[in-house]
Amino acid sequence: MRKSLWLLLPPTAWLLLFLVVPTAMLTTAAFSAEGRAYVADPDTLRLLWRSVRIAAAATALCLVAGYPVAYFIAGCGPRWRNLLLFLVVLPFWTNLLVRTYALIFCLRPAGFLYNEGAVVLGLFHSYLPFMVLPLYGSIEKLPKRLLEASQDLGASPARTFLRVTLPLTMPGIAAGAILVFIPVLGAFAIPELMGGESVRMIGSVIDIHFGQQNRAAGSALTLVLMLFTTALTWLYYRFRRTEGLV
Amino acid sequence: MRRALGAWTGIVLVALYLPIVVTGVFSFNDSKAMRWSGFTLKWYEEVFRDHNLRDAVTKTFLIAIPAALLSTVLGTVAALAARERFRGKKLYNTLVALPVMVPDIVLAIALLTLFYAVAVPRSLGTAVVAHVTFDLAYVAIVVSARLQGLDRSVELAARDLGATAWGAFWRVTFPAILPGILSGAVLAFTLSFDDFVITYFTAGTGNTTLPWRIYSLMGRFGVTPEISAVSTMILVASAALIVAALKLAKVPVGGGGR
Repeated sequence: MRKSLWLLLPPTAWLLLFLVVPTAMLTTAAFSAEGRAYVADPDTLRLLWRSVRIAAAATALCLVAGYPVAYFIAGCGPRWRNLLLFLVVLPFWTNLLVRTYALIFCLRPAGFLYNEGAVVLGLFHSYLPFMVLPLYGSIEKLPKRLLEASQDLGASPARTFLRVTLPLTMPGIAAGAILVFIPVLGAFAIPELMGGESVRMIGSVIDIHFGQQNRAAGSALTLVLMLFTTALTWLYYRFRRTEGLV
Repeated sequence: MRRALGAWTGIVLVALYLPIVVTGVFSFNDSKAMRWSGFTLKWYEEVFRDHNLRDAVTKTFLIAIPAALLSTVLGTVAALAARERFRGKKLYNTLVALPVMVPDIVLAIALLTLFYAVAVPRSLGTAVVAHVTFDLAYVAIVVSARLQGLDRSVELAARDLGATAWGAFWRVTFPAILPGILSGAVLAFTLSFDDFVITYFTAGTGNTTLPWRIYSLMGRFGVTPEISAVSTMILVASAALIVAALKLAKVPVGGGGR
């Protein structure tokens, strides 16, 4: 069959114009003298450290809470498995602001808001599906024979988990951690609404800079965020090693 | 052990859904307090009377519908192109899937920089452009999944039997991938409908969409029964849309992970 390479043109042109060119412009704006000075500022470094710390805590919480869930789902029969996966994923497809509102609605009477813990909880609540899906994918593929062999050779369940299950599901853990960490680091609405002025993350500060027409600083901060995510995306694709879009 | 895992899964699911259910229930509560004092629909009536909210709903559709249509066409074309063999295919795949991985605020600021540079004032149009750029990736992924299940020899057979390339596409390929295209379209619409960050940075003042309106209401008033009522309606609507999209795609959720 003759190749239909002309098909490449419309999407490539669109993405060049509205993704590649804008990113190049953003990079140029970020490398202005003002932009560079802003990134080197101790206040900016403190902001970056706080954002990374919060994102890492939320990712860790997703992993610790999500691993048993993924493990349980992988051991269910096909019917329950699909239902449970559906239930885990469904909230993700509903509006983020609405979910955050619901969480605030419930946390407010308890007074647990406007601190780092609340932000971590909010991010965990919204991004858990990103962790459970890849974990489920790798746990489901675990060869049962290896687990049985480990048991037969006298290993305790804990030892089997630490020496067999955990290492074999490492690709799922890595993929899940990256898939959660990236959007969480760039989160804007959740930290703004649940953390307020005291727990600002990168996203809120980018918004403040552009609101004050302080574009060089805003672009520089966006570029830092982009570099973080590019590095992690590259890692993600190394762990995934599949061809094609799916 | 299995029982403990099951209990934990139950706890996590309750933690995910409880706030949503509580908010929904209290949107029918007669008093503004967190104590139940009788069923009412008055908050919903107030929501329907609110001009600003109605205007926000209109704006949301004015962005989401064109964005969904355009991204469905572009995303389907992108997925069809990804089937061919060509040089730089890896780069092409990365480019198409990139908007899924990049945090939305990065995409929004990059486009904002472009709009500033070419001095295009922000409008519903610039918001549609921004939405298409990220919707496209999701449509391409969904349609690609459908294309992978399609036996290419059927298309070749159509060509051998004298169909033109165009004819073979419309009579063979298109009907086979139509469910994927439709679910891609619903997905794109849902993503655009729910989006806050991209719209916030690229639509400009005066084009406040529904999520944006909720964001500013929350910033100003915190928690109110009216916001609870709007939230409940949005939640029910988007859950229904997603179930429809999944039914159309006929793919088990998360089969094989993302």
